[in-house]
Amino acid sequence: MKIKVKLYTILEKYAKGKVLKNNTIILHKDTTLQELSHYLNIPDNIGIVFLVNDSLQDKEYRLHEEDKVKIFSSVVVEITNFLSKLNYTAS
Amino acid sequence: MDNLYGYFKKQLRVSLGSKEISKEDIDVSILRKYLGGVGYAARVFYDEIPKGIHPLSPENKLMFTTSPLTANRIPGGGSIMLCFKSPLTNTWGESRCGGDFGPNLKSAGYDALIIEGKSDHPVFLVIDDDHVFIRSAKHLIGKKVTEKTQIIRDELKDPKISVMCIGPAGENLVKIANVMFEHRAAGRGGAGAVMGSKNLIGIAVKGSHKTPIAQPEKLTEEIKICLKILRENDIAAGLKKHGTTGDMVANDVVGDWPTKNWRSNSWGKAEQIYDQFFNKHLVKNHGCYTGCPIACGRISEVREGRFKTPVHEGSEYESLSAFTSFVFNVDIEAAIQATYLCNEFGIDTISAGAIIAFAMECYENGILKKEEAGGIDLSWGNPDALPELVRMISLREGIGDMLSEGVKIAFERLGGGSEKYAIHGKGLEAPAHDPRSGKALGITYGTANRGMCHIHPLEGSAYDSLKLDWGLMKYGVPNPNTIDRWDEKGKGKIVKILQDALIIPDILNTCKFFMYSGIYIDHLSELLSAITGWNIGGQELLKIGERVINLQRLFNIREGFRRDDDLLPERMKQKPAFGFYKNEDRCAIKDFEGMLDEYYKTRGWDTKTGIPTKEKLLELELEE
Repeated sequence: MKIKVKLYTILEKYAKGKVLKNNTIILHKDTTLQELSHYLNIPDNIGIVFLVNDSLQDKEYRLHEEDKVKIFSSVVVEITNFLSKLNYTAS
Repeated sequence: MDNLYGYFKKQLRVSLGSKEISKEDIDVSILRKYLGGVGYAARVFYDEIPKGIHPLSPENKLMFTTSPLTANRIPGGGSIMLCFKSPLTNTWGESRCGGDFGPNLKSAGYDALIIEGKSDHPVFLVIDDDHVFIRSAKHLIGKKVTEKTQIIRDELKDPKISVMCIGPAGENLVKIANVMFEHRAAGRGGAGAVMGSKNLIGIAVKGSHKTPIAQPEKLTEEIKICLKILRENDIAAGLKKHGTTGDMVANDVVGDWPTKNWRSNSWGKAEQIYDQFFNKHLVKNHGCYTGCPIACGRISEVREGRFKTPVHEGSEYESLSAFTSFVFNVDIEAAIQATYLCNEFGIDTISAGAIIAFAMECYENGILKKEEAGGIDLSWGNPDALPELVRMISLREGIGDMLSEGVKIAFERLGGGSEKYAIHGKGLEAPAHDPRSGKALGITYGTANRGMCHIHPLEGSAYDSLKLDWGLMKYGVPNPNTIDRWDEKGKGKIVKILQDALIIPDILNTCKFFMYSGIYIDHLSELLSAITGWNIGGQELLKIGERVINLQRLFNIREGFRRDDDLLPERMKQKPAFGFYKNEDRCAIKDFEGMLDEYYKTRGWDTKTGIPTKEKLLELELEE
């Protein structure tokens, strides 16, 4: 399946060689966000936050065709394990 | 201690009323106990400032302090600490400013500079090693910061001399006025108003002395170790590329971005705002002091349009957040111009944005009318209101006169139920981090000695919601990955250690971002020991940190502050009204008083009053 992925600030470097032009990436069906993170070689000790289609999602979320994924980490500090069980949308 | 290293053992005292300038010896035993920066200043202030003085009276003092680590070659060593009784809060006041002023004051041969009294006419002070003199500054009145700095340098025929000065806001005794070093600010708490109240417009300094070093080879090795850590650190690299400003995006998503005067802790607009800044307005990065290996400063501009703004240094995370999320504004160009004008007029960007957000909410609720606002449309997010209100606050024009007093006095004057829109701690407007993203920040906000600032409390935020251990697990801080950011129990104990450690950069005048980047108190203790020859370990640094926090607390206690003043605004404890976390019940702070109880017990403070116990003062050698 084809999804869009955008990495921010200190995570930008993990897109190189993995994410195609137009932020596209091709993955197996039902790939989770955690599996995507591993595929991108983002170290486990760098805390990250996921937005999928502009909603917060935890790392167990299973991706769907044409999902738009944004992955964040703080510039100043590493973020780990802080978005468990969250699934809310900004208004 | 005949061979004292790391210090010149001298302080310069300038009495502006009598124009007397004296060079005094400093008691070495006090330096050993308090080191420097806010530590040494706390001792001097507690001893020299009488209880109950008006912060803008001649009895107040303004102190510039350095430390043994104040030097360009020390990683993070380019800082000066300004200490004073704050006109905004009536508490202990302090402001840190990056730049070369601190290293140059040290090179002039002074560990500290104390300004006291009041001149009968505007003056500026020049320090050139032993040659110290006062000049008239009548010709500088009304001029903005860049122009003032240039005139002083031209007059002294020295284009590189370090200059700190106030803008028109400081001259007008605006309570959120700052003291500027070029476009870096000693921003919070009103140091600029204190300086203005003394008719002191600027200080120029340069020097040629070298700080005596006890162990030069060890120091070189320790510096190399620190630089290697910084070179390999992703956070340092991130700060260089994106500055603090880049954190707007992640903080919005984690619920650490106060929005619309704190109605929410997220907005969902930071990505759009930051993308525009990074791609269109960021010119390059910049180090605030010569030789900074991180160089997180931002040089930016707005090339055209109604918010056209020249190339300047600014646009940091706090400043841009204050003029975007605080006031619900998506126009980054208006925000850039507003922060630029804050620096030129000499007011604190954080307080300015917070005050405007307060005014907008009062306007929305009919407490403030358009005609009272001089015809300005104070609707949420109106970009045109921002630069104009910055100007009016700085010059005390129209509604700006009331707003220039800060939100605490503004709500007292406005009435009409506006108190609930005034988001502050001890009178200091809240910065752009939200305790609804992690509860430790609530305690650090409530108990910070200078009020709700963006420097001291953030150790709680970084530990709790962002899982940074600060190298403190060996000193008793639990692994942050084992702590739930939403939990309230246990946070009081953790915060005590975090505060004791994270005041150390302000005692040693080092930049806190170096601690974010892996230069922890163990590294600072090695640097300090190499410079001074004193054998000071991390545990002793923590004890000194605790001593200084308690002494600052005693200063506030003497001024009448008690537990009842360690408050969080009600809105800050409530579930956000909108945004990513609008349905997240765990965001709400349910038992702030319980967290305070635990914190006070751990600190050895009376749980009813918040006053340090005699036993604690004895333990910290503060019994006198």
